[in-house]
Amino acid sequence: MVRAYTQEHVYRHPWERVTSASWRKFTDPENKRTLSHILEVDTLNRKLDPLTGKLYTTRAITIHAPGPWFIRKIIGQDICHCVESSVVDSRSRSMQLTTRNVSLQKFIEVEEKSWYEPHPDNPEGWTAFRQETSIRIKPLSALASMAEKVEQRCAEKFLQNSVKGREVMERICKYLEAESSGISI
Amino acid sequence: MGIKKEKRSSSSTSPCAKLRAAYHDCFNRWYSEKFLKGQWDKEECVSEWQKYRACLSQHLEDKHLSRFLVAESIFFPCVQDDSGRPTDDTTPGFS
Repeated sequence: MVRAYTQEHVYRHPWERVTSASWRKFTDPENKRTLSHILEVDTLNRKLDPLTGKLYTTRAITIHAPGPWFIRKIIGQDICHCVESSVVDSRSRSMQLTTRNVSLQKFIEVEEKSWYEPHPDNPEGWTAFRQETSIRIKPLSALASMAEKVEQRCAEKFLQNSVKGREVMERICKYLEAESSGISI
Repeated sequence: MGIKKEKRSSSSTSPCAKLRAAYHDCFNRWYSEKFLKGQWDKEECVSEWQKYRACLSQHLEDKHLSRFLVAESIFFPCVQDDSGRPTDDTTPGFS
């Protein structure tokens, strides 16, 4: 049982600004309230390849994912650890992120892939965002019947959080835009 | 079902919050002002990174995550090919 969905969004901001915003999305304290499901984000590793201009990053993301009480009872916790690996290719102007859960794998596997690329219609001014998410609930026989419902709920939750994430991104982009046109630092 | 309850104290790395913020600030500046402008020959924020990382390795108790701090070979297990596309071509949807 796999539930998969794709989302797309066009940011009317250049790729440089959008990817800058994406780094700030989880770490700027002012977004804490909107993205309250994100408890902690740590950079675990970072590598810059000076020959190719590629930046590799691994981050740990701790997510608060409360489910129905019976799920909490079974799983025993309501936080989930994810690892996000990303590559920014400065030359070709692309950013790719892959996020997977590393805890609770016995119960659920979530994989989210995202891309930020210059929009083909306006490569200097707009950015195309695409995200593919797949959620797989492990078919524990006793839970099989409810697993379907949990998947649905999970997918809805991810969609909601994704919308929140885009709102935050738009806000940071506006802020960065104002910053770059006003005060130059 | 004899499963041990974990406290929702996910803030296992919060003692590093200050060092983390200092590093992220430095990184964000470097990313916008240097990296995106093609000045990627030199790494910056090295001292901020070292302090933050030292703190992390002390406080990152979660076994799922700490393995990402140790071995270089598993830095980027999820990165696939250079094209930045997933290798499978299944079409996802709301099925």
